[in-house]
Amino acid sequence: MEIKGSVAVITGGGNGIGEAVAKYFVRNGAKVAIVDMAQKNIDRVVKEIKDMGGEVVGVQANVTSEADTAKYYKAAIDAFGKINIVVSCAGIIRDGTMLSLDKETGKVTRKMGLDKWQPVIDTNLTGTFLTIRDGAEAMVNGGWQGLLVAISSVNKVGQVGQLNYSSAKVADALLPKIVVGEFLMRGIRNIRCIGIAPGYTATLMLTGMNQDALKAILADVHLGRLVDPDEIARLIGHAVENEAINATTLEITGGLCYPNGIAK
Amino acid sequence: MKSFTYNDMDFSVESANGRWDISCKKPDGKSAYVGAGLFEGVPESEIESRVRTLVKSIFPVGIKVVGPDVAHPNRIGDLKIVGPDVTHPNFIYWDKDSSSFPKQAG
Repeated sequence: MEIKGSVAVITGGGNGIGEAVAKYFVRNGAKVAIVDMAQKNIDRVVKEIKDMGGEVVGVQANVTSEADTAKYYKAAIDAFGKINIVVSCAGIIRDGTMLSLDKETGKVTRKMGLDKWQPVIDTNLTGTFLTIRDGAEAMVNGGWQGLLVAISSVNKVGQVGQLNYSSAKVADALLPKIVVGEFLMRGIRNIRCIGIAPGYTATLMLTGMNQDALKAILADVHLGRLVDPDEIARLIGHAVENEAINATTLEITGGLCYPNGIAK
Repeated sequence: MKSFTYNDMDFSVESANGRWDISCKKPDGKSAYVGAGLFEGVPESEIESRVRTLVKSIFPVGIKVVGPDVAHPNRIGDLKIVGPDVTHPNFIYWDKDSSSFPKQAG
């Protein structure tokens, strides 16, 4: 499948990886629909893509809502007439351990509440499910060739302090296998599904953090730096054009290792 | 430049090199982009209907984004009281009368 002439829908397209993916697609001749919660992010990215000479529509939407999901797909089809690429980048973190103990008594003083669990599951798992499900529906009903991309994370291996995030991301990593298996059973041959599992990436979330903590993170990265969002965009672009990549989740981490040197 | 009002928002449609940019001013006075570089090759006579269709998709009339707290644990004995499914695609909540669709007398 060629990027040029394709139409891409990108959730979380207002910053970070989603923004980089959108601009990469535009540079390579695709039309894009930017979906984001924040209108000011949409406005900035739409203006920058306009200045690049691209074709873009921006939709403020919540990916956990079925109504909003239907809304942004309808908008993309109204604007461009089809959908070929879906990248589910919208994601959040609410880190914390499951239990906190009192240092003196060893008793539990605090538990991870649903206020930290549920929004992460809703956005990172249910939101991805709705985006992939309705993207597939549009492609099947429209008869359009397509690629569905779920964004997982290297922390799908299980990161202490991210029980919520890792649980969602390991499910996101598994999703392409089940979806493609279903496509095969249903005779849907022209739509692929993959996952992308980035390592520590140079998005605002990380570049704005404590620099000493960032140095500690980078000590475990073989590449010696954060992964650039554009490098992730290029991997997704390659996956669009290489049709043998299917039903799998690709890691792009720069060689992130555990402290004892075993690659994560 | 074309402009029109829909759902209490003012939309502007501008042409640049045969393509169309759409922006809007929301009821709170803030400006927002809807899209840019759109509808290349579409005859100008069809632009307004294409723009209106797109705008209606992005800003559906009467759907309120924030609904009741359906997760609130209201209980009467063993009965849990929950609100309507505000995320259902067919759920429509009329927050207020729109100047585009004023309440009909009688």
